[in-house]
Amino acid sequence: MAEDKVYKCLSPVGNEVPVDLFPLAPRLDSLDGKTININICGEPDITIALERKLKGDYPNVNWTTKKTYGINPVRLSEEELKTTDGMIMGVCW
Amino acid sequence: MPYIAELEKAGVPTILIDLEDQHNMVQQEALVNGIPNVRFLPASRTLSGPEDIERIIEPVLEGLTNPLTDKEKESGRWEPPQDRILFEGTLDGAQAFYQQSKWIPLPVEAPISVYTDGFPIIVPTEERVKEMLTGTSHKPDELITYQHDTVSRGGMMGIRNKKGDVVLFQPLKRTATVEQVAVNAVMAGCRPEHFPVVLALSQSGCPISTTNFPSQMVCLSGPIVKEIQLNVGCGHLGPGSPVNGPIGRSYQIMAVNLSGAVTGVNRMGCHGNPLNNGGTCYGENVDGLPPGWKGLNEEFGFKKDESIVMVQQGGGGIQGSQFSPGGYRAFQKSGHGGLARRFDVKGVQGPHNWLRYIVPGLWAIREGGVTIIMVAEMAQHLVDIGFNSKDEVYEWIWKESFEPLGEYRKRSWPDFSRNGWMGIEKTSGKPWKELSDDYMVPVAGDDPDGNCIIVAGGQEEASAQFAGGRGTAYSIDAWR
Repeated sequence: MAEDKVYKCLSPVGNEVPVDLFPLAPRLDSLDGKTININICGEPDITIALERKLKGDYPNVNWTTKKTYGINPVRLSEEELKTTDGMIMGVCW
Repeated sequence: MPYIAELEKAGVPTILIDLEDQHNMVQQEALVNGIPNVRFLPASRTLSGPEDIERIIEPVLEGLTNPLTDKEKESGRWEPPQDRILFEGTLDGAQAFYQQSKWIPLPVEAPISVYTDGFPIIVPTEERVKEMLTGTSHKPDELITYQHDTVSRGGMMGIRNKKGDVVLFQPLKRTATVEQVAVNAVMAGCRPEHFPVVLALSQSGCPISTTNFPSQMVCLSGPIVKEIQLNVGCGHLGPGSPVNGPIGRSYQIMAVNLSGAVTGVNRMGCHGNPLNNGGTCYGENVDGLPPGWKGLNEEFGFKKDESIVMVQQGGGGIQGSQFSPGGYRAFQKSGHGGLARRFDVKGVQGPHNWLRYIVPGLWAIREGGVTIIMVAEMAQHLVDIGFNSKDEVYEWIWKESFEPLGEYRKRSWPDFSRNGWMGIEKTSGKPWKELSDDYMVPVAGDDPDGNCIIVAGGQEEASAQFAGGRGTAYSIDAWR
C-alpha cells in the first residue's frame, strides 16, 4: 500500500559551525585597587543608578566607563585593555 | 556577546546584566561565541533603577570575584551532529514528525513548532528536494554565499558583506547549503521555478528582530515577476496566490530552520507580527510604472532586465490604508469630498497631490523610512502633477518630514536610534546636543532614499503603508 511506503526525508536545519569552548577568565581576588570598566548599553534607568552606586560605595576601585545607548558595546582601546582588570556590562550584551 | 567572549578569552573577567526573559538568548549567544558559562544577572523590568541596583549590586561584584566553578573552567569543542536524513518512514509519520512542537515556558507558555511556522508543510522527501534542485544550476552541496557585495539596510543596517563571503544565518550564525535551502523551499510549498528567488533571499541570512513588533517582507522586481506569475494585482498582499504565499513563507521557515529562530527563546518580538504569519512576498507591477519612473531593480543599480528580491525589515509593521477609494476619486475627478475640503480645492478637477493626505500621519508616532505601495493610477497622478521620477517623490516626502528638534526629542525611539544624542546630526554636521530646539530635522531618516515606493495592487484607488522603508536587494539571476 502506498501509505506504507518508506520515504527518506531531509533535514531543513542549518549547519552549526563547530565552536571551540573556552573556560571563563580567572576571577579577581579582590576589587580593591583594580580597574573595572562599566560598559553601559541602554536602559539608563538601571545603568545610571549602577554607575552612581559603584562609584559612590566602592571608592577603592578605579572605575572607568564606556557608554552607548545602543546594543553594541563600546570597545576598550588596546591601551585601555592593558590596564583593565574586569568589566561589568549591561543592560544588554 | 562576541566582545564579551573576546574579553573572557583574553583573561578579563566579565559579568553581564540583562533582563530576565533574555536569559535563554544570552545562553545561546554565549554558546555560539565559545563561552557557554558566561556569568549573567537578570535585571528587573519593573523595579526602579535604584531599587533594582540595591538588589543586584552584591551579586554583580561577586560575579567578578567568586572563584570559578569546575563547570566554568571547562573547555572543549561544541560540534552537534548534523544528519542529512532527519526522518525515515511513511508520509503520515513524516508529517507528524515535522509538525512536532515544543513547550516554550515564559514569556510564551505555549507550544511552538520545532521545524515549521506552525502551519502544515510539504514533507521534504529526497525525491521532492531533488526536484526542487532542478530550479538552479548551483550544486546541492554548495554553501550559500553572497553573490555580490552588499550593504545591508533595515534590521541589519550597515553590515557589509563581500561577494563570496559565507552567509551566516541569524541569530545562531549557522551556514546552509543549496540543498538545505531546497528542503525549506519544499516545506514552504515552493516549486522549482521559485527556487532561484528563495536562494536569493536566503542571502539575507533570514534575520528576525529580537523585540517589539518586527516584520520581514520580500519584494520582487524584474522579469521574474511575470515569469513565475507573482500576483502584483488585486489582493497581492493577501491570501490566494500559489506563488506569493510559498515564497513569503520560505523566508519564515528558513528563519526557523536555517537561522534557529525560536519564538520566546531568541525571537522576542513581544507581539510577533501578522506579516510574518505565513510570510509576506509581494512584487512590483512593472507595467504600472509611469513613464520615467525606475523599477525597483534599477533603483538598486541593476538593469531593467535583471531580477532582484528586496528583503525588508519593517520595524513598525503595517501603517494601513487611510482614505476611501470613492473619496479619492471624487477628490481627483471633480474636487469633491473631504480631501478636496481639506486641501481647499473644492470644485477643482485634479490631479491633486494625494500624498499630502497621508504624509502627516506617516511619522505621527514613528520615525524612519516608509514603504508606500500604490496602484498604477495613483502613481500616474503623481507624475501628472510634476513628479517625474520616484526620486522626486522621495525628496518631497523627506522634506515634508522635517520638524523642530524640540519635538523630535519627545519621540520614543530616537533616544535609542540617536545613541542618547551623543553623535552628529547629519543635515547640520553638528553634535545633536549643540542644536537648538527649533532646528528642523528630518523624521523620515537621514536621507530621502530610505523611503520606498512600490507600484502594485488592483484597480481600486488605494495605497498601503509599511513602517520600515527600503531593504537590501539580492540578485535572483545569480541563482538560476
